[in-house]
Amino acid sequence: MNYEVNPKVGSSEQDDELVSESRRGFLKLAAVTGAVATVSGRRVLANGDIGYYAKDLSDDKLIEMYRTILKIRWHERTQADQMLTNPDYRGYNHFYAGQEAVATGVCATLRNDGPFEQIDLVYSSHRPSGHAIAKGVDIPKMCAENDFRATGLNGGYAAEMHLSDPAVGFIGADGMIGPAPVIASGSAFAFRARGSDQVAVVFAGDGNYAAPHFHSTLNNAKLLDLPLIYVCENNLYHQYAHYSYSCPHTDIADAAAAYGIPARVVDGQDVLQVYNAAKEAVDRARAGGGPSFIEAKTYRYYNHWGAPGAKAGELGAFGYDPLAITSFRPEREVRAWMQRDPVDIARNILVNWGVLDEPRALEMEAEIKAEIETAFAWASEQPLCSPEDGLKHVFAEGTVAARQFG
Amino acid sequence: MAQKSWMYSVLEAVQYEMREDPAMTWIFELTPPVASNPGKPVINLETEFGRKRVVNTGIDENWMASAVLGAGLAGSRSATYIPYQGALIPFEVIQNVAGKLRHMTGGKASMPVVWIIEMTGQTPGFAGQHSCYEEDTYYAHIPGVRTVIPSTPYDAKGMMVSALRSPDPVVYLYPAGLRTLTEEVPDEQYEVPLDKAAVRQEGSDLTIVSSGGGMPGVLEAAEVLTGEGMSVEVIDLRVLKEMDTETLVNSVAKTKRLLTVDQSYYTLCPGAEVIARVAENVDGARYKRVAFPDAPPPASPEMFLWMRPNAEHIAAAARALV
Repeated sequence: MNYEVNPKVGSSEQDDELVSESRRGFLKLAAVTGAVATVSGRRVLANGDIGYYAKDLSDDKLIEMYRTILKIRWHERTQADQMLTNPDYRGYNHFYAGQEAVATGVCATLRNDGPFEQIDLVYSSHRPSGHAIAKGVDIPKMCAENDFRATGLNGGYAAEMHLSDPAVGFIGADGMIGPAPVIASGSAFAFRARGSDQVAVVFAGDGNYAAPHFHSTLNNAKLLDLPLIYVCENNLYHQYAHYSYSCPHTDIADAAAAYGIPARVVDGQDVLQVYNAAKEAVDRARAGGGPSFIEAKTYRYYNHWGAPGAKAGELGAFGYDPLAITSFRPEREVRAWMQRDPVDIARNILVNWGVLDEPRALEMEAEIKAEIETAFAWASEQPLCSPEDGLKHVFAEGTVAARQFG
Repeated sequence: MAQKSWMYSVLEAVQYEMREDPAMTWIFELTPPVASNPGKPVINLETEFGRKRVVNTGIDENWMASAVLGAGLAGSRSATYIPYQGALIPFEVIQNVAGKLRHMTGGKASMPVVWIIEMTGQTPGFAGQHSCYEEDTYYAHIPGVRTVIPSTPYDAKGMMVSALRSPDPVVYLYPAGLRTLTEEVPDEQYEVPLDKAAVRQEGSDLTIVSSGGGMPGVLEAAEVLTGEGMSVEVIDLRVLKEMDTETLVNSVAKTKRLLTVDQSYYTLCPGAEVIARVAENVDGARYKRVAFPDAPPPASPEMFLWMRPNAEHIAAAARALV
């Protein structure tokens, strides 16, 4: 198993403050050779010194992370099956399956419960179900929301693309390309202004690179030393277009380095690699060291939206998606990524480390699958919304007038 | 002549103009300029004209909107297709630059550009940031920009031809809910004027005025009301800027009753402007306005479908007025 974390050396000056002696030596060598890639033989060694934090985690914490990955995975699979087999089911999703390790690894480094004034905030621009579960959103209520129920997480007003639960620091999703990172930087700005050690995290996809918001976010986060962690989930496709249509870099993290922000590229399928990079970034932000950028190389197992190409009871979607005109994802590409599955990788690490044995790990998966099925069953029994409630919550108090009847 | 979809009709117009004018460009994101229609050749602007003229860019509506303006200022006709979700990001450059430039330069700036801007959010279950049916109001408010909103494939093609040939910048609103409409559309180019409303049905008891995504519900209600013996005049605005006041005033001078219907929010919806213009010119008329409440569209289909004006709402409002 390869635990390599590729360092992005955009500004050795900043990194110097945070890394050990031998890491500094590595950076000098990198400077001499002019490119990190040319000394890749030293990378693993050098990274051995940046703090392999996950090795020090308690068994309970590691198991909790594994369980979170499983919760996300089985939420996605159960919902896909609902969409494919239950004609009464009205929910939909922009599936996160395949990317579970990213949300899990990042959120495992955050403060997720406690008073609102102390917990860390997460902005999920897209594919929020995974981010929401990792941040601690109540799963049955989320299932009810995604099925437009009155007792759902947001009373049926939001649905999948706009989930939000500030109580656990999940500011939520907007389903947009652009605004979320900038707004997240505003939360980070507030933390700094009021002397809080909270951090703001934004998850955004590869498509976000092209938006002016991306550049504004990084520039201001650096200028003001904001406690912002930008997690770029590069799953290679924005909607139906490969990211090469919108970004000239192979590693989007190169762009962050240009803004003077410490940046790392990690294997987004390996939850502990993600954890290590996130821990480093969170520690830096809490200590007043400013923003960090993490590019997690990952992949989604389903198409951009819904479950075209998927079969009930099977993981992933293959074949022709009628909406995928610009870039068609070859089945071989999807299957190649599925060979490095975040669930399998996490389980294998925990088994190798003796945290769990294989039978217990599989038993745990069965428990979680049942737990998720119960959540969907509960959601399906929740009441539908009252039409008139659509006029509520426009302002803090009162309702607006009905105008549709003239 | 053939039964054609909305998008096929539009791209047929664009394809012809691009063949005639080798300088003309098209910018898109996510939504390739491709359309097929039974019995007709597939249109694919990207493969036909190449990627220098037809650009698939990143998700950056600010660039798309600004780039076509710059192309226009450089003397190249240019159009862009802004899909759902980003429909108001171009607002700043259209409102604060394009709308003012001709006037500000003493008439020197010429802007042969078209922003095709989708309006989405009539699908129950989307809601929130995924709805923008109110943008007709925002764009209609801008001076110096012609804002049009065709509601049929025939008008979609004819108004696209006029928009591409216009020296003025044009915001061409595309209510995505109408994408499934088909009708007979000529193969050759023809122009539909950028300053005329269309009387869809003549009548003497009541005038109903709507536009874009509001039209199917209005036509459905008009059919029901006609069946009940009411003589209904139906006007499709087609143009929000500059609004065809004459057609509106002539109609209400005859019927003395005006019902406006919008999928946009009630406050400042296009119908509010229609009523104001008519009230200034017609004495003794009665008015009613059907619109989406001043609330963001919620996701729940139960809430959303109750709030969205539909044929039943329109017919009931008409009966109350006559």
